[in-house]
Amino acid sequence: MADTHSRRSPLATAATAAVLLALFALPQVVHNEYLLHLCIVSAIFVIIALGLNLIVGYVGQLSLAHAAFFALGAYVSGLLFIKFKWSMWIGLPAAAVITGLIAFALGWVILRVRGHRFVIITVAFAEIMKLVATNWIDVTRGFMGLPGLTIPALYIPGIGAIDLSSKERFYYVALTAAIITFWLCAKLVGSSIGRAFVLVRENEVLAESLGISAFRYCMIAFVAGAAMAGAAGSLYGHYVGFVSPDLFNFSYITIMLIMVILGGKGTLLGPVLGAVIFTFLPELLREASHYRMVIFATILILATMFMPRGIIFPLVEHLVPKRWRNKP
Amino acid sequence: MPELAIFGQHLLNGLLIGCAYALIAIGLTMIFGVMNIANFAHGEFYMIGAFATFYLVSLLKVNYFLALPLAVVIVLVLAIVIQQVIFKRLRDAPVMTTTLVTIGLSLLLEHLAHLLWGPQPQTIPNPFPTAPLSFAGIYTTPLYLFAMLVTAALIVIGHVLIQRTRMGKAMRATFQNKEAAALVGIRIDSIYLYAFGFGAALAAAAGAVLGGFIPVEPTMGGVATLKAFVVVILGGMGSFVGAIVGGLLLGLAEGLGAGYMSSGWKDAIGFVAVILLLLFRPDGLFKRG
Repeated sequence: MADTHSRRSPLATAATAAVLLALFALPQVVHNEYLLHLCIVSAIFVIIALGLNLIVGYVGQLSLAHAAFFALGAYVSGLLFIKFKWSMWIGLPAAAVITGLIAFALGWVILRVRGHRFVIITVAFAEIMKLVATNWIDVTRGFMGLPGLTIPALYIPGIGAIDLSSKERFYYVALTAAIITFWLCAKLVGSSIGRAFVLVRENEVLAESLGISAFRYCMIAFVAGAAMAGAAGSLYGHYVGFVSPDLFNFSYITIMLIMVILGGKGTLLGPVLGAVIFTFLPELLREASHYRMVIFATILILATMFMPRGIIFPLVEHLVPKRWRNKP
Repeated sequence: MPELAIFGQHLLNGLLIGCAYALIAIGLTMIFGVMNIANFAHGEFYMIGAFATFYLVSLLKVNYFLALPLAVVIVLVLAIVIQQVIFKRLRDAPVMTTTLVTIGLSLLLEHLAHLLWGPQPQTIPNPFPTAPLSFAGIYTTPLYLFAMLVTAALIVIGHVLIQRTRMGKAMRATFQNKEAAALVGIRIDSIYLYAFGFGAALAAAAGAVLGGFIPVEPTMGGVATLKAFVVVILGGMGSFVGAIVGGLLLGLAEGLGAGYMSSGWKDAIGFVAVILLLLFRPDGLFKRG
């Protein structure tokens, strides 16, 4: 598909290559297990934030169900592993597909309403999912959760099995997933679908009058975003090794929103940087966990009121290739 | 214990919870109706009301009956500051903005409470005798009766203020048509201030009274917000009477539900009802046509 916006300059290509090279070389330089752990979690949250950004940033609907999709993905993958011994290689796509289908069913009824009604229904949905995870003990084991999830080995014909369970190896799995997600989002946003997203966000009436169905484009963003969250949930569950109803806690959606809003909603790079920064920053402030939440909450309020474009993206805007910038 | 007495016991338990839900929901529905804000931080006023009472009574040794109104005043002052500093600037802001700000505010207040008071659950000491009272096989305590009396009285007072006073009428007029209200000389900013302050004060009163027998902890606000949203949707967003009836209904349903069915699932009923109502009857259960 010809995309007039993505005229690549040699400089941009070189910069992209340099960033990718640095990301792939990282475990060769950083041997600290704890830092690698943070890098893995960052990569998983990049996937989540990119998905939430499609809904909140591109079509402009405030969905508070995103953390529930993340937790659902973790449960789908975890249950397939526990009940059928299916590894993450099946669990991850299954989590993405099933979470996407659930989002489709939910979206079918709720994407017809807007504003407060939409927001409150997404909260109610997330709470119901949490109650199901907690109370459907025969399947989910309730608060005991699903323990013992493992990271699968990678079988390559001719080479054999490669163990991925070390942090260094799993970093590559998470990084690859994050890069694929970023690439998918960039393709989606750069296509005519992405331009329809922005029009629906900016002026739904105008979009409808031009024959662009707001319902359809909200649905595309909602399902794609949920599938990304589901895939991230699968990665997270297998990485941490344990899935419990705690994943449905409201604190997850607030941190995801902080990543997207402070990073810069409606941009590609903003939520990515937001996810990385707000994974590392809380760890730096770990001794003062409540202080840091007080600080983040204050920043969230101030940024929402006075800096609708977020904080991080405007700072780095002029450093990135034009095609990744916020399109008007 | 005879069947009827057990039923009465559950009913009584549900009644108090229902009164508390109604008190919290009146404020939430008012802020929603008048200011068009879904206030995810509303339950935090309830939490702070409970903590302020706890601190006044157990640490500053203030008389219990004096501490209750004092705690409400403290929350009222806080609400006025929040309204003037934050929500005054958000008049006519999009839903995304106002909702994100209230979510941030909820996070801020909950973690401030953690910092100030720590995570351990507290109970507000009270001067009532602990010996249970019994009528016809139904047991209760003096504190419980007092709490019921206070919450019921506040609901009645709130209702009268909204229905009978000039300010109440101005509030309802603003809810019905903001431009027309402004046109006839109602000052919208002061209506917002009254609605927000009044709503926060009622939630604080609920927290202050209930803190005598439910654990007072920083996370209690988030739970209360969700319950209050269920009530507001049941009663119709922006409906004062709906919030009262909806609150009592949810309280009684929970009281009976906890008695006769598994308590884990009972919360789900409210959330399923919320989704169905918002989709098919956005004006709530009680509005005709």
